Amino acid sequence: MFESGSSVERIPILKMGSYLLVTIQVDMHDRLATSLQDDLTARIVETRARGVLIDISSLEVVDSFIGRMLGNIAAMARVLDAETVVVGMRPAVAITLVELGLSLPGVRTALNVDKGMELLRGSVERVAKVNSRGRRQARDA
Amino acid sequence: MSWSLLTLDVTYEHDVVAARQRARQITALLGFDVQDQTRVATAVSEIARNAFRYAGGGKVEFVVEGRTAPQLLLVRISDHGPGIRDLERVLDGSYRSATGMGLGIVGARRLMDRFDIETEPARGTTVWLRKIFPARQSVVAAGELAEVSTALGRQRPETPLEEVQRQSQELLRTLEELQRRQEELTRLNQELADTNRGVVALYAELDEKADHLRRADEMKSRFLSNMSHEFRTPLNSILALSRLLLEFTDGPLTDAQKTQVGYIRKAASDLSDLVNDLLDLAKVEAGKVIVRPVEFEVTNLFGALRGMLRPLLVTEAVALVFEEPEAMPPLFTDEAKVSQILRNFISNALKFTERGEVRVSATLDPGGDAVVFSVADSGIGIAPEDQERIFEEFSQLDHPIQKRVKGTGLGLPLTKKLAALLGGTVWVTSTPGAGSTFSVVIPRHDVEPAPLLGPHDRAVEPGRLPVLVVEDRAEDALVYEGFLRASRFQPIHARSLREARHVLATVRPRVIILDILLRGENARGFLATLERDERTRAIPIIVATTVEDQQKGLALGANAYGVKPITREWLLDALAMVSGTVRPCRVLVVDDDEISRYLLRSVLAEARCTVHEAANGQDGLERAIDKRPDVIFLDLIMPDVTGFEVLERLKAEPRTRDIPVIVFTSKPLAGDERAWLEERAVAVLSKEAASRQAGSEVLDALGLAALASGGAS
Repeated sequence: MFESGSSVERIPILKMGSYLLVTIQVDMHDRLATSLQDDLTARIVETRARGVLIDISSLEVVDSFIGRMLGNIAAMARVLDAETVVVGMRPAVAITLVELGLSLPGVRTALNVDKGMELLRGSVERVAKVNSRGRRQARDA
Repeated sequence: MSWSLLTLDVTYEHDVVAARQRARQITALLGFDVQDQTRVATAVSEIARNAFRYAGGGKVEFVVEGRTAPQLLLVRISDHGPGIRDLERVLDGSYRSATGMGLGIVGARRLMDRFDIETEPARGTTVWLRKIFPARQSVVAAGELAEVSTALGRQRPETPLEEVQRQSQELLRTLEELQRRQEELTRLNQELADTNRGVVALYAELDEKADHLRRADEMKSRFLSNMSHEFRTPLNSILALSRLLLEFTDGPLTDAQKTQVGYIRKAASDLSDLVNDLLDLAKVEAGKVIVRPVEFEVTNLFGALRGMLRPLLVTEAVALVFEEPEAMPPLFTDEAKVSQILRNFISNALKFTERGEVRVSATLDPGGDAVVFSVADSGIGIAPEDQERIFEEFSQLDHPIQKRVKGTGLGLPLTKKLAALLGGTVWVTSTPGAGSTFSVVIPRHDVEPAPLLGPHDRAVEPGRLPVLVVEDRAEDALVYEGFLRASRFQPIHARSLREARHVLATVRPRVIILDILLRGENARGFLATLERDERTRAIPIIVATTVEDQQKGLALGANAYGVKPITREWLLDALAMVSGTVRPCRVLVVDDDEISRYLLRSVLAEARCTVHEAANGQDGLERAIDKRPDVIFLDLIMPDVTGFEVLERLKAEPRTRDIPVIVFTSKPLAGDERAWLEERAVAVLSKEAASRQAGSEVLDALGLAALASGGAS
């Protein structure tokens, strides 16, 4: 019965254009964090999203598990051709993460949602340019 | 030295979240800055997760240590898990866990000011996390800590989701409890089933015992009944022989001898009484006593008893009073047995009453469906402890009077059994020295009255005269039925006077045939009521009985009186006579066959008729005019004029037109011939049938003829 109970609680994932927006507003327990990871990868595939923006401004505590989860999401999204930006991390949380020894490799961060979106757009365009250049070079050759 | 702020269990995944939220709350309340709040919460989260994940749950305690600076916040997280194997390697950071983590303990140590861990394989792990209170803050006193505790109690950091989870946890616990109870119930059920089996076994045993007892009881009854019979024969001989002796049949006796024989006779007589009582009792017990319910009035019963018991009143000092019952409806039960019960009560009361009175009364039960008879005396009374015993067989009380008056000790037990037989009960109330009251309650309808006959049994066939036959013996009723079959009288059978009254309410019979000895019922009274009632006075009554008392029967209003066994002949005669349908007595037989004439003559002679004979049609016609008979028997096949012609001419002649004709022939009749004949004759008889039935058809036809002539005149 706990399985069915946990299926009710889900972190909502919003689609904005070609990006997915996740706002974590509750203190997640581990299974909820894991299910977010699964849901998000599924949605990336489903919507062909180019970027994921995760807002953790509500989180007061990010421990090693949640931190690792954020890292995993970023890594998986990259494999699925999507960029991940984590925004709104509190200073205390950031310091604690460093002290904990968790460096979140591959996770790009931004101060707030606006900055995060800019970052995402920029990187997506850059990738597109690189791709088109690649195609041109191939044609020239 | 230390102050425990809060303890919480980590049992479910969600408790890890609760632990870190509590850590944040507590640190905030204790004045830690945001950074430290986050650090402590994160460290607690790591260690609590370890406890949940690797030890299946544990306990988190928040404690404030020290009353002076520096105060410490201690978070003790303990579990009873398998312990940590490579603690050394974990602590120096070279360990990578299988889950790819391994940061928890090391990270937590970095985040806290002091970190202690103790682990023991299979015993569990305890981690002490300590954080020094912020330096700028003054010492937190016990009072403030109490406030913190209260605040923590108030702030239950619960989101709706957590609420739901908490509730489902409670639900789970409840379910567990239910499961436990269920098991308990199953166990109890099993136990009950076992007990039940035991009880069933016991019952079987009891049944067996009861069966034994029943058989023993039966044996006793049989023994009593047999012995009583065996006793009676020699006793009767003694009684008879002693009477012979006392009557000096074989020469005179001396005075001494006379006295001695008198004693022998007295003793034999007492013994005979005892045997008779025993016999009665045995009969009741063996279920051989038949209840014969009749309808009777209490007043009449009391009248009979008064006469019967007067001889028992030997002394002037005792009065026997029968209270006249008021507004008492009649009873329908065995009058003889009620009478026997009351006789027993009254003779008993008279025995034990030396002066005063014995008062007999009857009252209707408040429900109206039972009558309570009471016999009250002013005698010696019965002690309470003996009041049950006197209804037991052969129990006699020890009392001077008891020694004087002889009894069998069977009277009251018999009374009790008789009452039970009638569906009633007996009881006694008594004050020693002041008197006793014996009572019996008898249901008014002890036995369901036999169901009344349905309306179809009484439907009167058209053209027949209803005769009400009141007869309780089914076989006699059948005899009447047989006698009257095919006659113009139709018997309507009533098995009792009650039924007879019922029939009279709907049918007005031409005649009533009454058996004056209806079992237990007062047929004479019925006769008298019939005579009194205007509607029934005119109905003629034939009394048929085994008792020869013609004068009385006729005096009571019977129109005919017959002693059984009665004959068909007599019955038909009587019916004809009393119903006013007098049988025709002059008969003309027109037939050329000598033998047929002879047969008819003998049958008709039995019916006491004058018979004229004609050997041919012409002669018949002449004699019909000449003799003017009441009825003519006509043969069809004759040498000169045929029966058809004779009939036609008879009907054409005014002087003979009204004489009923019975066609009596051996000629097989065609349909149209028969129709023609039936139009003109009252009956068409076949000679073959008449010979087989020994004339009964002839007589029936005669009856029809009488009816025809009666109707014509």
